[in-house]
Amino acid sequence: MFPFARFVFFCALGMLLINACGITPTADLPPGDQLEMTTSTPMVSSDASVAGKLVIYSGRSEPLILPVVEAFQAKYPAVEVLLKTGSNSELANALIEEQSNPQADVFISTELFTIQALAQQGALQPYLPMGADKLLAGFSAPDQTWVGLTRRARVILYNTQRVDPQDLPASIFDLTDPKWKGQVASAGSTNGSMQAQIAAMRQLLGEAATEAWLRGLIENKVTFFGGHTDVRKAVGAGEFKLGLVNHYYYHLQQAEGSPVGVIFPDQGEGQIGLITNATAAGIVRGAPNLAAARALLDFLVSREGQKLFAELNYEYPLLEGVELHPAVQPLEDLRLAQFDMAQSIANFQATFDLIEKVGLP
Amino acid sequence: MHLDALANLKPKGRETHRLPLLSLATLVALLAATPLVYIGLRALSADAAAWQRLLQARLWLLFRNTILLTAAVTASSSIIGVGLAWLTERSNLPAKSAFRLLLALPLAIPAYIGAIIHLNLMRPRGGVIPKLLENALGITMPAWNPLGFWGATFILTIFTYPYIYLLSAAAFRALNATIEEAARVFGRTPKQTFWFVVLPALRPGLTAGMLLVALDVMAEYGTVALLRYETFTSAIFVQLTGRYDHSAAAVLSGALVALASVILLAELRTYGKGRFTQVESQWRPARAIALGKWHAPALGFVIGVVTASLLIPVTALVVWSMQTLLEVETSASIFRPGVQGFAAHLWNSLWSAGLAAILAAVFSLPVAMASIRSPSRFTRLLLRICQVGYALPGVVIALSLLYIVNRYASFLYATPLVVVLAYVLRHLPQSVRGSEAAFAQIAPSLEEAAYTLGRNSRQTFLRVTLPLAFPGVLAGAALVFLTSLKELPATLLLRPAGFDTLAVRAWIWAGDGFYQQAAPAALALVILAGIPLSFLLRKEELIP
Amino acid sequence: MNRLELRNVSKKYARSGSTAVQGVTFTLAEGEILALVGRSGGGKTTTLRLIAGLEAPDTGVITIDGRLVAGEGVFVPPERRNVGMVFQEHALFPHLTVYENVAFGLHKQQKSIREEIVMESLRLVGLQTLAMRYPHALSGGERQRVALARALAPRPALLLFDEPFSSLDADMRVQMRQQVRDILKSLKATVVFVTHDQEEALFMGDRLAVFQDGEIAQIGAPEEIFHAPQRRFVAEFMGGSDFLAGKTVLEGIQTALGLLPQPTGLPPATLVEIALRADDVAFTLDSQGNGVIAERFFRGAFYLYRLKLDSGEFVHALQPHTELLPVGARVHMYFNAGHPLSVFHNGSVVQVNSPINLHHLIPAKR
Repeated sequence: MFPFARFVFFCALGMLLINACGITPTADLPPGDQLEMTTSTPMVSSDASVAGKLVIYSGRSEPLILPVVEAFQAKYPAVEVLLKTGSNSELANALIEEQSNPQADVFISTELFTIQALAQQGALQPYLPMGADKLLAGFSAPDQTWVGLTRRARVILYNTQRVDPQDLPASIFDLTDPKWKGQVASAGSTNGSMQAQIAAMRQLLGEAATEAWLRGLIENKVTFFGGHTDVRKAVGAGEFKLGLVNHYYYHLQQAEGSPVGVIFPDQGEGQIGLITNATAAGIVRGAPNLAAARALLDFLVSREGQKLFAELNYEYPLLEGVELHPAVQPLEDLRLAQFDMAQSIANFQATFDLIEKVGLP
Repeated sequence: MHLDALANLKPKGRETHRLPLLSLATLVALLAATPLVYIGLRALSADAAAWQRLLQARLWLLFRNTILLTAAVTASSSIIGVGLAWLTERSNLPAKSAFRLLLALPLAIPAYIGAIIHLNLMRPRGGVIPKLLENALGITMPAWNPLGFWGATFILTIFTYPYIYLLSAAAFRALNATIEEAARVFGRTPKQTFWFVVLPALRPGLTAGMLLVALDVMAEYGTVALLRYETFTSAIFVQLTGRYDHSAAAVLSGALVALASVILLAELRTYGKGRFTQVESQWRPARAIALGKWHAPALGFVIGVVTASLLIPVTALVVWSMQTLLEVETSASIFRPGVQGFAAHLWNSLWSAGLAAILAAVFSLPVAMASIRSPSRFTRLLLRICQVGYALPGVVIALSLLYIVNRYASFLYATPLVVVLAYVLRHLPQSVRGSEAAFAQIAPSLEEAAYTLGRNSRQTFLRVTLPLAFPGVLAGAALVFLTSLKELPATLLLRPAGFDTLAVRAWIWAGDGFYQQAAPAALALVILAGIPLSFLLRKEELIP
Repeated sequence: MNRLELRNVSKKYARSGSTAVQGVTFTLAEGEILALVGRSGGGKTTTLRLIAGLEAPDTGVITIDGRLVAGEGVFVPPERRNVGMVFQEHALFPHLTVYENVAFGLHKQQKSIREEIVMESLRLVGLQTLAMRYPHALSGGERQRVALARALAPRPALLLFDEPFSSLDADMRVQMRQQVRDILKSLKATVVFVTHDQEEALFMGDRLAVFQDGEIAQIGAPEEIFHAPQRRFVAEFMGGSDFLAGKTVLEGIQTALGLLPQPTGLPPATLVEIALRADDVAFTLDSQGNGVIAERFFRGAFYLYRLKLDSGEFVHALQPHTELLPVGARVHMYFNAGHPLSVFHNGSVVQVNSPINLHHLIPAKR
């Protein structure tokens, strides 16, 4: 009886090990060739040749990126998409670690600083997707290592049942007002959009003022969540009166029937203006599944993909001519904060130092 | 009679067979110690500026929070655990055997899943219960915060008390009636007997249980993150996911591991000193003590604990799972085919925990055998080194593996095997203890008998030692399987794209606020975990 | 050729460095039962384990059937020595049935032959009906018998017993002793038998070796050991002896019991001890006697009296059960041995001038 048990044991062990090493019977694409881009003419990729795996590292949370990924998969049914979500910095860290042994094909970021830092480190490879020339200027890498996808604004979400219309804050600096003590929710320091906001404020207002604002938030007992979904749900439920989020979270929460309103802050004279940022995507240098990666990028900047971002996620697409969701306020009507993206990106590390110094959760 | 021309020329007898055994054991110990060494080196080599920043800002706050939480949970779970054990073993509580099982089952529920359920039920103005109260009765619940220190203490207590309960119950059961009767004859009241006779008998097992609970709390990530109570582990996690430079994470990890090591050393001292008291041949069970007027409150207490720690969580998960299944859209998003589908997550959980259990058992064999068959200071040291996993929280192991694997074992990188390796490193101590106990109870004369009957070392090991040790080794492996199933932070940090376990899935869905979607994964996890748990409860006779 | 030969075997304990056995030398002929007897820690179990190969000697030589198994740079492990062993705790494999236990040593045989041998061995110990049981379902005595069958099955050159009956109840022990000896004799087995019970040793052994602090104090036939102990230790250990102090005089030894007319050849006024058994002493009631009755023990057919001499020493004497003498009565005790008594000086037996003829005490070999 015991020898039989041993036999079963070794079979099980063998099966487990084979599984573990990921030797599956599906055929892989041959490793993508590394075409060096010397021109800026957009490349064409044909649907038929795109098959195999596609590994995406997404800084965007799963519920938000998944519909777009699924639409892509519907278009290319032969591609098996492996999605890993996390925070921008966590995934960027992984990409840097993996440079000598690339595991991912595409990196999608929720703000531009991280992806530019990666590009500067040489972790991305240039590719200009089909139709990328029609994207709004200034939101893609000059060396084509990444392209902007959508734009978003930093807004204040409020619960209409708990906040009087007269009391509405007009500026993000109002969030440090003691009358909102313990009533404000925000995303924490691991969130890309929050990091980007802090970086933008550093440039607009200087280190001291930004530090004062952050300390003010902490003193005002602002609750810092891991992500914006928690913030919007909490404000929607009335747990908090105010929330600092990206604009589309307002729409998502409203779509769930919650009594929420939105404020586009700092519109007045002398105020800093509406802070915006953008999402972007880039192909990892040495990506194992290059054709599929290129197909994805093409899809993301295509009309089809951009429409999904606009309609499903309520975002501001960067592709010219794609209509916003009717409920979304156009950016043209608003006063935007004017800051030098490139400079902010260059000083990104200083943002982290500031976050550490203040001890932002 | 067989003439033997090849007589063994080494005059030291069986000692020669020790060398390969000791080498294997040393290798295992080195493997177990690697994360510790790495963290120590990185923490110490981080530049002074990083230390200073941390010291200024957060270190003391984190230290205070961690210690406070650990102390609170250990104290409350001990009181509850011992109290419950006394009630089920020494009093005339009704339905004892049912309660014994029910009180042990919460071990199958990971604390962070308990936190998810708790949050979803109790969030003021958002949770199910406050909403119900408000809609049905118009009562607005007072702004009682389910979060923070008290929430975390509550959740962690109701899911860790079973450790203490089981150990105390076993100790109570083994107490010989004659001891207590002797005390009574000498004029001690029942209360005095309890304090001065019964409780001291509990002490070794209780101390060990308390220290293990303390280590568990210090390593806990999911619960404290969800309930927004900052401890070392959540801060390390934030550092790992939110920053580029990991030296701060390494420093925090170093501090946490140092703290945990102190507790682990204390625990190792009590280890083995009478875990469960030996049942003598003249043993009689002690007479049950009547509860009298305390009957109703005691029963209420027990039922209350069972409800909070088992009935409510399981019911909630079942109800939400059914709701999810009935909503076509939601269930479609969960039960997808392919890599992102439920079946894949289930399989991932099973095979990664299973492989970890097998590897941990195999690795534990040389260490356990060496310490039992060639006891020496060296083998005792090896044994202790292999226990270091208790002091290395999942977050810390992930941090060290991220670097070590990428630099020295890159073929493992971004494969699920790294996750399995993390499980093995963290849970090896459980397997080592199980195997050690298994080998310790095999009398040496059994192996010697086999030698005199003509079997050499290898044959004796395979035909006598291993079959007899197998149940104990299996128990250790079952424990590794159980804890690996529940593991969260290391899995989150180390998993390759497309590899999600049930634990990770539940976490991600819950983290995005989709509590209902998280329910099927959480329920599947709890059911899966119940399998090794019931095996262990039966085998160790923790449930008679 | 001797079955077993030990020459000058010594071993130290590894950890403490103290001596386990020292200079052990003896031979064992085929079909002989040698009983090793002595106090715990005396070295007899160590010697047994050295013979089995479970330990290696530091010095000395062990040969089995003329083949060198230990010593002079050679060490044959136990699995190749062809010795069988019965352990104190029977050491039956709990995960195997009785049949499988007994068959364990027969792994090199063909299946059919194995079956034959197993059933034969079980029949020998009278347990052929229990072949399919597991050890935990057997009584203590049955387990030991299975252990015996298991050790016997491979027909080893040598059988070793390590206090096999010490875990049994008293009457079980006596019963097993008889049965086992009969089996061993019927098989003409060569046996080394370790026990701390001198009565058992006297019963089991053709020869006895008495161990004292790692050395053999005396080796010889049971009667020799019992009646002609070479050392005080042996006399004391074999039991039932009182020691009476005495001083040598020309005619013999002067004691509190009177003069013992056994010239010793030692210089006069040397302090010696005389070993006395209950049957060596007699007494009568005498109000002018040299001692009193201290205690009285009823032993069925006779009474055993413990007598206290006025010198403070104690001796024992027997009286038939028909007489009941009161405790505390004054008596006169005197030597009544009818044979020479053992006299010890500094622990060793003293050579008496006139050689004592012990032949009548040592019957022909059984």
